[in-house]
Amino acid sequence: MIAREKLDQLKAGLGAAIRRADLPSDRCLFVFVEPAALKKACQYVFRDLDARYVTGIGADDRPFSGSFLVAHNFAFDPDHLLCSILAEVPAAQPRVDSISEVVPAANWAEREWRDLVGIELNGHPYPKRLVLPDGWPDNVHPLRKEVPWNFSPGDTEDGREFKFDDPPEGCTVVPFGPFHPTLDEPAHFRLYVDGERVRGCEYRGFMAHRGIEKLAESVLTYNDIPVMAERICGICGCVHNVTYAQAVESAAALQAPPRAEYLRTIHLELERLHSHLLWVGLACHILGFDTLFMQCFRIREPVMWVAEKITGNRKTYGLCVIGGVRRDLANGLKAELQQVLDRLETEWRTVTGAVLQDRNIQQRTRGVGVADRKLVKEAGLVGPVARAAGVDIDCRRDHPYAAYDRMTFDVITAPDGDVWSRLVVRAREVFESIKIIRQCLEKMESGPIQLTIKDELPVGRLGLSSVEAPRGECHHFVITGEGNRPRRWRVRAPTYQNLQGVPMMIKDQQLADMTITLGSIDPCFSCTDRLETIDLKSGATRVWTPEELIQLGRSRKTS
Amino acid sequence: MRTDLICSVAGGLANVAAVLLVAPLGEGVLRKVTAILQSRKGPPLLQPYIDLLKLLGKEDIESGESPALQRFVAWLSLAAALTVACLVPMGFAAPMNGAGDVILLIYLLTLCGISTLLAGLAAGSTYSLLGIGREMMTMIALEPLFAIALLVGAVHVQSLRLDAVLNGSVYAVQGVPWSGLVLLVVMVLSFQAFVQRVPFDIPAAETELMDGPLMEYSGPKLALFKYAQMARLVVHSGLFVALFVPWGSGLGFPLGWLLFWAKVLALVLVVTVVAATHARYRIDQAIRYFAGLLAAAFGALALAGYGF
Repeated sequence: MIAREKLDQLKAGLGAAIRRADLPSDRCLFVFVEPAALKKACQYVFRDLDARYVTGIGADDRPFSGSFLVAHNFAFDPDHLLCSILAEVPAAQPRVDSISEVVPAANWAEREWRDLVGIELNGHPYPKRLVLPDGWPDNVHPLRKEVPWNFSPGDTEDGREFKFDDPPEGCTVVPFGPFHPTLDEPAHFRLYVDGERVRGCEYRGFMAHRGIEKLAESVLTYNDIPVMAERICGICGCVHNVTYAQAVESAAALQAPPRAEYLRTIHLELERLHSHLLWVGLACHILGFDTLFMQCFRIREPVMWVAEKITGNRKTYGLCVIGGVRRDLANGLKAELQQVLDRLETEWRTVTGAVLQDRNIQQRTRGVGVADRKLVKEAGLVGPVARAAGVDIDCRRDHPYAAYDRMTFDVITAPDGDVWSRLVVRAREVFESIKIIRQCLEKMESGPIQLTIKDELPVGRLGLSSVEAPRGECHHFVITGEGNRPRRWRVRAPTYQNLQGVPMMIKDQQLADMTITLGSIDPCFSCTDRLETIDLKSGATRVWTPEELIQLGRSRKTS
Repeated sequence: MRTDLICSVAGGLANVAAVLLVAPLGEGVLRKVTAILQSRKGPPLLQPYIDLLKLLGKEDIESGESPALQRFVAWLSLAAALTVACLVPMGFAAPMNGAGDVILLIYLLTLCGISTLLAGLAAGSTYSLLGIGREMMTMIALEPLFAIALLVGAVHVQSLRLDAVLNGSVYAVQGVPWSGLVLLVVMVLSFQAFVQRVPFDIPAAETELMDGPLMEYSGPKLALFKYAQMARLVVHSGLFVALFVPWGSGLGFPLGWLLFWAKVLALVLVVTVVAATHARYRIDQAIRYFAGLLAAAFGALALAGYGF
């Protein structure tokens, strides 16, 4: 009973600060502490018990318990345990101690709930706006329950601009993004450059925040959300789809049938295959090695085709419902999938042979963008970035879900923490994914693919789930609720943590290494755009200003 | 005397016409072969001609700090490349032999690089300035290489005349031409940088600096820069062939002429394959690399001084 053991340790360390605890299974632990003791509790878990920081959640729980709720989630990876430290924050004075000083990885999560839920922070080291747009009024917090999902602030201060920090002395500012050939999606880095060296940077992102969490807790229902969750990411959508379903299942104590678990595993690994192939290609492109970029994409294409045959889509598989999956593997596709894997394995051996022996690539990536073990711990870095620094974590093994407990595979690590190590890790993980899919096809038993759920899901239960996405741990936290939808659903994609490590990785590096360093975490922002319309009759071109676009958006009556 | 002058001017113009005609084809070959190496179909061979026409027909947008200078530099870059073409043998003997000597050629080669610098400077955006910073570092290390090669040839033949030097002069010594061989190696290793291709397209570096010095250019001005870049590929290849691979240039027309263009084509193919099989170097790595080559080149110059 590892959960019980950890709880005893916590009790020994924190004493009376613990209000109550919940041990729904041996794999997760919920501990409610006094708000005043939150910082101490998190410090104890993070430093003394050496847990990994996962994410922080703020929730408006006033309609139900009369108070706000904050949670900091941690993972005890070697013990296969996820742990959430929660505190109820009085509604009258929504204010809580910041833990970012003792747990730097919590920096963004805390700022996010400050923006979205309006729970203020005591002693945050960098209390700048993170998520909300620059013109958003200060006192409106979209994730509070009284704010409707389609709320649009009437009086945004359109002229208000984000205030960037002053650059260090002797440095010029190089704006990187929001649009840049190597940024697939908008994000803005202000680089402070001294000659060819980057001395620091400031990040401003969240330019395409779509309010998906708000939609989920106000408009959608339990089984709508997986489809929406999938659209969080353009590459690893299935991961969010599965993670959400599993989080709800864990809250409601449901267990998907074995065949559904195998099917989930297959789809997740297919996704990892095409994501890793894509990434190695893009990394080569960033380094100017376009031949390998093209070859990677050629090799990747059959994976997309077979995914399309299995699911009807190259991407966006629409796989999960609560308690199972929506479709089985059609007849004949098993053999075809096996063929695709065989060919992929041969071709990938050739490519990795070429990449991993190329001195030219090594010169550009060795010692570049280093994230060492310390940074991994402090910033809570996950996935290939952590494994490339020799930190042996992988949710598939550490927090087994779907059918991974029945699979044998290696967790690939590399020692140096540089871009080269990340390249090696990803390139070799492709073979492990192929191995896992083969085992699934072999071991998969026949049977139902969905649970029959007769009753309403229980209300007010907490659920969490971690899934190893291609980019690292994807973590979802769910509070079940009334009206066939969750009260709160919090998504933490792996890039959320990894991006926080980038400023440290690029510090004192060459400017030329900036793009590959950022690329090496495989960042995953999201898309929005400026709009240009052309009147076909007159041929006149009109560029819309931001103000006009806002007006246009608000005047629309239908969506 | 008069017919001489007419011949020489006509020859120069013929060279310019040849370069203008062939340069986009060279680029077309480069793109097609790159595509084949990348398992792609690639654009038609004549695509670069169409691209240039399209760009020339576009609106001339003035964006950047000093539009007048930008317009001038766009012409300068192509003009510099074409003037070099006048002086270099393109299948026949160097046409405008009397119009200048090796020293002029060295200056004109440098002018090609300087026009890129000016282009970035005139545009004045952050990325352009970063690009010309890199271009400048590259030029300082790179430009002396061709100059040294030409000087070594001049030392060997005891003349600065173009027709004397641009005829395999680097090997023109008794016995084994050590200096010429060293320079051959140096030039082969640095040729990619002279024609601004991967792994040495560092100043432009699309995925870092978004074309660096040329970032602010579009339409006709971009066409001129692109044309100049294509012309450089041909002109530099011609220069390389004349200096280092002269064998068979003495043959009469059309054999010698065909042989010359075959050698240029072969060089373009080498450039293509190297570009398609390498990642871009970082500026500090490239400079270290060039510094080694520069040291070797100076060694060759010293050898040439002692008659090797």
